[in-house]
Amino acid sequence: MTRFETAMAKPSARLVNLLIGKSIIETVVVGALAVFTFMSVFPPTFHGWGEVTSTGISGWAVNDAAPDERIEVQLFVDGNFVGQGKADQHRPDVSAAGWAQDAWHGYDFTIPSQLRTSGQIHEARVYVLHGNENGIRKSLQLLGDPISFTFNEDGTLAGTSRTEH
Amino acid sequence: MAADQNIFETTGARGFALWEIVSVMTSCLLVEWVVFSFAGKSKLVGAVPVVLALGFMFYSHRERGETLRSIGFTTDNFLGACRLLLLPTTLLILIAAIVGWFANHSLSVAPWRNRYLLLPLWALFQQYALNGFINRRAQLALGKGAKSILFVAIVFGVLHLPNPLLATLSFLGGLVWAAVYQRKPNLFALALSHAISSVTLALLVSPRLLNSLRVGFKYFG
Repeated sequence: MTRFETAMAKPSARLVNLLIGKSIIETVVVGALAVFTFMSVFPPTFHGWGEVTSTGISGWAVNDAAPDERIEVQLFVDGNFVGQGKADQHRPDVSAAGWAQDAWHGYDFTIPSQLRTSGQIHEARVYVLHGNENGIRKSLQLLGDPISFTFNEDGTLAGTSRTEH
Repeated sequence: MAADQNIFETTGARGFALWEIVSVMTSCLLVEWVVFSFAGKSKLVGAVPVVLALGFMFYSHRERGETLRSIGFTTDNFLGACRLLLLPTTLLILIAAIVGWFANHSLSVAPWRNRYLLLPLWALFQQYALNGFINRRAQLALGKGAKSILFVAIVFGVLHLPNPLLATLSFLGGLVWAAVYQRKPNLFALALSHAISSVTLALLVSPRLLNSLRVGFKYFG
């Protein structure tokens, strides 16, 4: 070792502890940032339910963090965007069940006629459209589970899938 | 004392010096990649890794008995270091001028925003971290000479990723500055060369080529 190295190579146990402490704090900061970001982008406060009707997909959506908010929802069928709307229709069963304080949280999508191919099984997914406070980012969050349906020969929809989240 | 000896019999003083470098480098990468991507422009969150790294570096200097003068905050060697830096810095200015000429980039005062006025201080800060700390620890781990110089240059290049041109130029600058520091440890001379080089690049090379000197997550924004 040179004189420079000999003079320098005397780190103490305190320095080692400080280095370990620094690493731990940085790990905690990164972990906290990751959790905070995930909670901001995909808040776990959305609840909803969807079902197949004779003409489309209907259900309800509520944000526990803002119960008075009318949530924006989007429908995708087989991975393709079908429509967007506000969950602001009358659903007295939602408030009766205690999911919301008022009854105006329903949505109803009509499946377009060009998708009506008899016998084929389709998959519908209803997403909550959520934006952050300053509107820079928007995210889609699946509401419940995917809903499978098919078309009857008379053009009406049939499905047994029922989801709750 | 016995505890200290045990620790360094196990980890080794050289390994510990490398660990110090990795720790400071990690803090820089956290700011560049994690904080900007997760917390946006939140200065408070970004300050955490910076304060931790600075606090650790200051404490490390104190524990190892390093003084401001030995680190390079001194007027000693200033002219000697400037003499060594004159040729490579002039060369860089010429290269930047040639690149700017061929890219048809006209000299513009537009890049002279407020932040460029603080460039000498920013350059001094970077040179302190790069050479006043990382280079000194690299010399402990790898010895004085080519290996530690190359190591410091690679670290400086990596910290400027994913900007390909800036990372390459930083690597080359890192080679020069690390070599000069090992011969004439003076941070003011290095900061002067660094600031002149950065201003030259900002003025003469198209912001399109350098993506306005952006690094880390901001490079994509």
